[in-house]
Amino acid sequence: MTAPASERKAAKLRLDRFGKRFAVTGAPEVVAVDNFTLDVAQGEFLVVVGPSGCGKTTVLNVLAGLDSPTSGTVAIDDRVITAPGPDRGVMFQDYALFPWQTVRGNVEFGLRYGPAGDGLDEAQRDDRVRRTIDLVGLNGSESKYPHQLSGGMKQRVALARLIANEPDVLLMDEPLAALDAQTRIILQDELLRIWGQDRPAHERRTVVFITHAIDEAVFLADRVAVMTAHPGRLKALVDIPLPRPRGDATRALPEFQALTQHIWSLIRDEAYRATVA
Amino acid sequence: MGGGAMSAASLPAPSRWWSRVATGALLPIALLAIWEFLGITTGGGRMPLPTRIVREAIILIGSGDLPLAILQSLGRVFGGFMLAAAIAIPLGLAMGYSRAVERNLDPVVETFRPIAAIAILPLAILWFGTGTAAAVAIVAYAAFFPLIVNTISGAKNVNPTLVQAATTMGLKRLTIIRTVIVPAALPSIGVGLRIAMGVGWTAIVAAELAVGAKAGGGGSGGIGQMMFVFYAYSIELNRIIVCMIAVGLVALLLDRLLRAGLRRAMPWVST
Repeated sequence: MTAPASERKAAKLRLDRFGKRFAVTGAPEVVAVDNFTLDVAQGEFLVVVGPSGCGKTTVLNVLAGLDSPTSGTVAIDDRVITAPGPDRGVMFQDYALFPWQTVRGNVEFGLRYGPAGDGLDEAQRDDRVRRTIDLVGLNGSESKYPHQLSGGMKQRVALARLIANEPDVLLMDEPLAALDAQTRIILQDELLRIWGQDRPAHERRTVVFITHAIDEAVFLADRVAVMTAHPGRLKALVDIPLPRPRGDATRALPEFQALTQHIWSLIRDEAYRATVA
Repeated sequence: MGGGAMSAASLPAPSRWWSRVATGALLPIALLAIWEFLGITTGGGRMPLPTRIVREAIILIGSGDLPLAILQSLGRVFGGFMLAAAIAIPLGLAMGYSRAVERNLDPVVETFRPIAAIAILPLAILWFGTGTAAAVAIVAYAAFFPLIVNTISGAKNVNPTLVQAATTMGLKRLTIIRTVIVPAALPSIGVGLRIAMGVGWTAIVAAELAVGAKAGGGGSGGIGQMMFVFYAYSIELNRIIVCMIAVGLVALLLDRLLRAGLRRAMPWVST
């Protein structure tokens, strides 16, 4: 815990030779993920990119405890993950907001009905919910229902609901994929601000973020895990040494372009093959 | 205040509501007139006529007989409706949520479902007599099936990602049923409630008619019973038609009330 900064940081998440196979009736079994080994450090922003069908979502579901590996292990703080837990929060691609709850009700949901709210009295809960709504910029929309919100606002609600529970690890499955290009850039900036890119690394939460957008991966990540499909394998780990805090200026850096090109070159052949096939 | 000067003189005049109503009422009024005319020229003294129906309606309402009968029937419908809801909704949720429960109960439900409420009347009368209990049982039986079928489909078609979202927040299974499955199934349950109210109201008229026949006219009241008396004893066709219209209007009113209630209960459902 008190290791000097020069030493290698302790792994928050550890994927050890993890694999996932699916039985398919009347067909050979599908290897979704094969022999995947990776450590994610405390406070690290790890982004997983890869073509569709490479098992990105399987990696996330196993970390979330919604799915279990068929070989190898997946652990958090050296405890093997077997079930979902409030130490890991998940943000889903289709937002997964509760349509019958208002913005406030959605943000409050985990604190009200789940273990994240244990030990909080009503005033503390209210306070946390209000601060979270402030943080994502949803003031004034507290009593709206999800169907009254734009895609970008829904995404903010989903993010607020996730961080209100204060999980140690944020697992995000293509959370910005459904948004238009401009909203997406704005929310990338917001996401880094909320994650705490201004704070020292040990105060940040650990993030595993799935995307198929390479520029998004480079902009957000400390490290990018590049996956290839059939079977889903970890092809490369790319360090993103771009300085933080990052913003619009980051996107204009030559290093940003070079890293994007580099990652694209790693998956280009396969992406072409997948498109043609 | 002076802004009224820029009124929409150049816009085409919107059709007034009364002109639309007048246009829509034209055909019904013509049909009623033809009915009245043919009835007077060809029918006997008992032939139902629009004017006679209106006169009888005023008498029946004025004497309080019709309102009382409707209230009696409504009381039974609500009793049977609540009984059906109390059983069908929890059972339907369990069947929709758990494959095991559904596998066990589905054959039973589906075997009874095609048996019309009126077909269990003989049993209901034998077991519960010719009073309110039999009528309530018939309504409950009729209302049960649309309710359970819609509740099952509502609980089954909950977006699985919502359940996953709640699971990843660490909610317990029973809490998930209460906070995710039930509200997600509510719109579907609402549809079930509306259909159940409709068939319940249909069933009460049939049940009271039949119970009335068994009780020989001295039964326990209600609109169906009233119709039976007009049919079998005093033979007043105009009054039977008054009752028919009342049944239709009450059904319409019940559905409107239920819809308004459901809209209030589910402000998130955009209509």
